[in-house]
Amino acid sequence: MTIIWSGMAIGAVYALVAIGYNIVFLSQKTFNFAQASLMMLGAFITYLGIVVLGLHWWLVGIGAAIIIGAIAALEERIAIRPVKDMHNLLVTTLGASIILQGVAQLIWGGEPYRVPFFAGDGVVEVLGGNVYPVEIALVLVVILLVVALTQFAKHSLVGIALMGMSENREAAQLRGVDVRRFAFLAFAFTGVLAGAMGLFVGPKTYAVATLGASLALKGFVVLAIGGFGSLSGTLAGGLIVGLAEALASRYIGADFANLSVFIILVVILMAKPTGLFTRRKERTV
Amino acid sequence: MGVGVVLLFMPFLGMSYGMTRQVMLSLMLALIVSGLNLNLGYAGELAMGHIAMYAAGAYTAGLISKAGVTEIWIQLLAGALVALGVGLISGIPGLRLGGWSLAMTSFFLILLVPDILSIFKESTGGRNGLTGIVPPTLFGQLMSEKQYYLLVVVVTIVWFACMRNIVVSRHGTALRVLKQSPVLASSVGISVFRMKLTAYALGSLPAGLAGVLFANLDMYISPEAFTFTVAMTVLAASVFGGSASIYGALIGAAVLQFGMNQATNFQEYGLIITGLFLLSGGVLFSGGIAGLGQNLVRKLDKLARERVGSQLVPAATAEVAPIQGARLMVESISKSFGGNQALSQVSVEAKPGAVTAIIGPNGSGKTTLLNMISGYYSTDEGSIALDTEEIHGLSSYRVARAGVSRTFQTPNIPEKLSVIEAVEAGRYATERVSILQAILRTPKFKRIRREDRLEAERVLNLVGLGEQRDSDADALPLGNRRLLEVARSLIGAPKVILLDEVASGLDEDELDVLADLVNRLRDAGLTVVIVEHNFQLVLRLADEIYVLAQGTVMAHGTPAEIERNPRVMEEYLGVINDADGSNLIGAGND
Repeated sequence: MTIIWSGMAIGAVYALVAIGYNIVFLSQKTFNFAQASLMMLGAFITYLGIVVLGLHWWLVGIGAAIIIGAIAALEERIAIRPVKDMHNLLVTTLGASIILQGVAQLIWGGEPYRVPFFAGDGVVEVLGGNVYPVEIALVLVVILLVVALTQFAKHSLVGIALMGMSENREAAQLRGVDVRRFAFLAFAFTGVLAGAMGLFVGPKTYAVATLGASLALKGFVVLAIGGFGSLSGTLAGGLIVGLAEALASRYIGADFANLSVFIILVVILMAKPTGLFTRRKERTV
Repeated sequence: MGVGVVLLFMPFLGMSYGMTRQVMLSLMLALIVSGLNLNLGYAGELAMGHIAMYAAGAYTAGLISKAGVTEIWIQLLAGALVALGVGLISGIPGLRLGGWSLAMTSFFLILLVPDILSIFKESTGGRNGLTGIVPPTLFGQLMSEKQYYLLVVVVTIVWFACMRNIVVSRHGTALRVLKQSPVLASSVGISVFRMKLTAYALGSLPAGLAGVLFANLDMYISPEAFTFTVAMTVLAASVFGGSASIYGALIGAAVLQFGMNQATNFQEYGLIITGLFLLSGGVLFSGGIAGLGQNLVRKLDKLARERVGSQLVPAATAEVAPIQGARLMVESISKSFGGNQALSQVSVEAKPGAVTAIIGPNGSGKTTLLNMISGYYSTDEGSIALDTEEIHGLSSYRVARAGVSRTFQTPNIPEKLSVIEAVEAGRYATERVSILQAILRTPKFKRIRREDRLEAERVLNLVGLGEQRDSDADALPLGNRRLLEVARSLIGAPKVILLDEVASGLDEDELDVLADLVNRLRDAGLTVVIVEHNFQLVLRLADEIYVLAQGTVMAHGTPAEIERNPRVMEEYLGVINDADGSNLIGAGND
């Protein structure tokens, strides 16, 4: 059970990355490679705020949200908006991601920093397994986030506009939706989210500069399982990836953790390339 | 080539070992970058797994060297093959979705390198690295440092020669067409998946070769040499040198290799610099340094052409050989998108040696019908056959290969190709020539290349674009682009040709050329299907007209019958006249 909890918690972190991918994907039909790097920076800012500066946790959360949101906004302006060719977006967001990683490495070096969790770091026993409070919190936060975002998309005007944009950009534009502004705000929001989540992600993964690459990949696997653009799919995807990784690492060997996730990715892409939870759309000419 | 010769003699001009080592490392980097370019620059897919293939090549060489096989040629062969295997395994699932899936699956491979090495710790040495590699031999003789250097240069030259032969051949054109538009690629009979996989698999070869060369350079390899950071360096070199360029890889690799060596702070700032390269490369110049140079050359070329000027020549000079058309039978097909019934129970028959027109208001399902015939949409019900051969359910490139050729409502013209190249692309599936033959430039390859050129000139003359053969295809005005599409659809010797609103945007002269051409193609025996708004043109050209309305065939008959059909006159002809009128205005503006 300890393994299950830990797997679910790490799966929740991956799901968070995938949620960020999804929001950008829905609003701009593109991917932000730097999403995971933004989360990595969020963890560092949290470390800086709580450990170094000794600030109150909620203050740190708000601060990190603002800072990372601003970085995301900057990224949108520099690495996404000026790019005309969709192919190049892969390269530019990857470039942004590497710059963020390079900056983190320059400031904090390659060593991991432990980030304390505001609700305590003592081990508790839940359902017969040893678990850290942050692990339970992560799972709950991700579920709440998915529910909240889904409701938001269905019922609020902004959410509906966003879904309309993802369906047909031009039609939305003709209906008076400021497509570029919405896309920008959605992008900045993923940064805010990544910053605020540093409170939960940091204590689980530690703040380490190399976090970005592996999170980016696992987040993508979650997306591949859950389906591109599907928010609820990220929960199932996160659960599968987190558990597979934890179980493989525990029962086969640490070297097999990544490999097992890769095999899942390959199987999913071969069997159902659009993801398990989305319907297939026909290509149009 | 000149640079290659200079490099060959460099050690004999008193270059220090430190320097030759840097050159060798640059060349290895250039090999990997070149493999990446084939994917990123030509096939348009971002793949980052080349470092994993590089590692595969290096460890293959290291392991078989320890096992006693020190002959460098065998090692190169084995390394390339293993890299190819890794490429195929990661390419097949990644390419199912293309774009991000390939980027991620190939990226994932890099993450797996240390894990896999660690799993086979006994033979690979795990994270500590593989030691005890035996110095390489060539034909049984131990290689000296200078000989080894020469080998690296020669391997690089050979690969770049292969790469150039691929890129300038019809396969290179096919890749560029594919990058621009998978829809277009499949319409000329290119299998999108197979072509992309081929590019990815080919790109793994130089990475494998570089790995073998690397393993034999220091006689020691460890996972440290195959990290994410190295992969990013490769990508940055590709972007810097220009991904869609053959020799840009050499420039990019040299700059990054020597840059890394010179800047003392590179260890600290390396990632940031690499990132900046990628970011600015992607935003500012999509062609890289080599692209800037090429643009200059292209501009000069264009300037020279403009001075000569171009004009339309009458198409009468070109001849149309008899064509074996095929009967296209569409039988009661239906199609719905979600709840929207686009077509229901539509039957159309197009005979060889006749022009069959499909008319109808916007949204009546004309283009949907064409798309179903060409295999872009699946049919819900009904069947489509070419003579006796069933073609519904085939993927679009197979339909094209079966002899159905088409033009698009919005002309689909690839960038950075000349008019004649764009037309030649239409012949990709007609006469096949393998990539190996293209690399070796065999007589068959040369014969087909000559035929491609001749045929392209013939069909360009047919549509009256002979004079523009060397212009940039994507810079042509709309009318000429349509005619270019017609030429492209004719070059593949089709049995059936589908023309989708081909007359809109043409001026009076071009319209005459087109009408004359359609008549001659019909007389030659081709099956011609036109979808058209211009009612007068349809009456003039068609032997048989189908009128679609709201997804069903409303009327069907000869032009004379359709013109007199009361339902068409009452409910529909008014609409057509309007559409026709607006079309004429549109044509005037173009």
